Amino acid sequence: MALTSHPLLSALRRNPTGAVLIALQIGITLAILVNAAAIVTHALQKMDRPTGLDTRDTFAMEVADLSRQFNVYSASSADLAYLRHLPGVAAASVIVGIPLTDDGGTTTVGRLPESQGPTITSAYLPVDQQGLRTLDVPLVAGRDFRASEIRVPTVAHPDPRIGIVIVTQALANALFAHRSALGQSIYLGGRTPSTIIGITRNFMGPQLGGGEHAYDTVLVPEIVTQYAAYDLLVRTQPGKRAVVLREAKRHIDAADQNAVVGYTWTLSHAKYRMYSGLRNLAVFLSFLTLVMLVLCCLGIFGLGTFNVVTRTRQIGIRRALGARRRDIVTLFLAENAITVSAGAIFGCFLALGIGQWLTTHDGLARLDPWYLLVGVAVLALTSQLAVWQPARRAARIPPAVATRTI
Amino acid sequence: MLEMHNISKIYRTDLIETHALREFSLQVAAGEFIAVSGPSGSGKTTFLNVAGLLETFDSGTYKLDGQDIRGLSDNARSRIRNEKIGFVFQSFNLIPDLDIFDNVDVPLRYRGMKAAERTARIANSLELVGLSSRMRHLPAQLSGGQQQRAAIARAIAGDPALILADEPTGNLDSLMARQIMDLLEKINSMGTTVVLVTHDPELARRAERNIHIIDGLVADTVPASGARRRERQGPAHAESATD
Ligand SMILES: Nc1ncnc2c1ncn2[C@@H]1O[C@H](COP(=O)(O)OP(=O)(O)O)[C@@H](O)[C@H]1O
Ligand SMILES: [Mg+2]
Repeated sequence: MALTSHPLLSALRRNPTGAVLIALQIGITLAILVNAAAIVTHALQKMDRPTGLDTRDTFAMEVADLSRQFNVYSASSADLAYLRHLPGVAAASVIVGIPLTDDGGTTTVGRLPESQGPTITSAYLPVDQQGLRTLDVPLVAGRDFRASEIRVPTVAHPDPRIGIVIVTQALANALFAHRSALGQSIYLGGRTPSTIIGITRNFMGPQLGGGEHAYDTVLVPEIVTQYAAYDLLVRTQPGKRAVVLREAKRHIDAADQNAVVGYTWTLSHAKYRMYSGLRNLAVFLSFLTLVMLVLCCLGIFGLGTFNVVTRTRQIGIRRALGARRRDIVTLFLAENAITVSAGAIFGCFLALGIGQWLTTHDGLARLDPWYLLVGVAVLALTSQLAVWQPARRAARIPPAVATRTI
Repeated sequence: MLEMHNISKIYRTDLIETHALREFSLQVAAGEFIAVSGPSGSGKTTFLNVAGLLETFDSGTYKLDGQDIRGLSDNARSRIRNEKIGFVFQSFNLIPDLDIFDNVDVPLRYRGMKAAERTARIANSLELVGLSSRMRHLPAQLSGGQQQRAAIARAIAGDPALILADEPTGNLDSLMARQIMDLLEKINSMGTTVVLVTHDPELARRAERNIHIIDGLVADTVPASGARRRERQGPAHAESATD
């Protein structure tokens, strides 16, 4: 018999309101479920990328001076001399900009001067000769800065030439594709060209907020003295971070009357903060989806219960006519399956529509059809579970209802 | 066809026990047409429910078509209801969402019959009750008499050995009631055993045998009226005479 004349469908056609509403709800839930799952998965993948840093044992502290005659160079040198001899410290360096935070600078980088060719916006990280060691980032090619190469420009003697730089592998690839970047000249901002002397394994620098270009960083050999503040980056031996941080803060605060330790960051906290937006989005979307799913189940459960109550007599009649208990359960599951299928078809179109909109407006990747498949499976399963209890209840209606109720 | 010995059925609620059937014994031969009457609350419906395997009983023995009913599983009871018994109820009990065709189809589907056979059987039984032209009507679009005929078509479509009818004319005027009675007689004449519960003495008189139930007991059995017996034909005739 053709499906169009199946008694299940004719019965549904005669009382469509509840089923149509539930189908709409299922469709909307599916669309949200699928897109939320895609966004959350994407966010999780993003948060799961390696930072390339020893986040557990590294911290940074900002030291600022309140007096006019503050000499960043001598103050930071004194701090470093102290830190490098402090038990538990593996390496320490003076930098400007803290990895994994939005505290720091950026620069444009190009193979040609700024006005003559394409540029990449990259994190700009001034370090001294111990910078890489402190970051615990190995070189994959070339060499590190030497102590003699660290420039100390001052307000009185500015020095826009940089000369030599180290770049991350990601930035090197972005600039030179598969050709070797080592020894090549690049232009930072509007300055004279600099030569790449080293390429490091990828790590996340400051300012890029864990975005798509988080690994693009250029390191320059410089101690920045024109601000009345500097950042100390300290990596400790495993597990010593808390002790060292407390001790260092106490010492530096006490050593110089004018120096105050501003904020301190552990890199693990910085990483946590960096992804707070993504994490909140993921939590919110998961929660929203869960609520929608629960509401969907409640709707299905409600409609099922309504059907049991309003069809008690009909079910008794069916039992009298020879339906087994499991036939009654099947009746409810089949009817629910029809509703869910209709909702799922609607939901697939809606999901693809929302996905398309997100792609054009938010630049998200196209919705992978796998999400739809899994989403439909999840909804099919949960909706059948939701109607299970009413179906069991219906199956318990005794056949004598057919003769006992008028 | 139907043998009940000392059946008792007790309804228990928190406060009271109702002995709806007590030491109830009755034999109905295959092909017989019996009418059951009795005052309201005497246990007629209870008897029909027990006979039709809609309810269980507390003690006694019941054999239907030679098969002992006691202790059968719910599934087995469903199967017997489906294959051997046709029900006709006072309030017709058609499923309101389904048209007449689909209503008659319900027990056939539960039997797992092929579509072609179901269609043929539905057509036959609707023709027998004179509703061939109404098969795509909903129950609500039919008169009471037509609805009861549709219910009879549903009861006989599966070719049951036993028809149980609980006051099938109770909601109908006398003309329609007689039509229903004619139909039940016609079905009986084709060999199906019919047990009819009725208040109406005139209708009861048309049965071969009248059973009177009072207070859950068979009070007396009135022998068959001669007219009905002479009309009877078919293989069941000889057996029914034994009672
Ligand atoms: N489900 C039930 N629970 C309790 N008592 C019942 C139930 N069904 C019937 N009874 C009682 O059993 C007795 C017989 O009822 P019934 O067989 O319906 O009588 P009749 O059909 O002859 O009017 C009545 O006293 C009735 O109140
Ligand atoms: Mg009754």
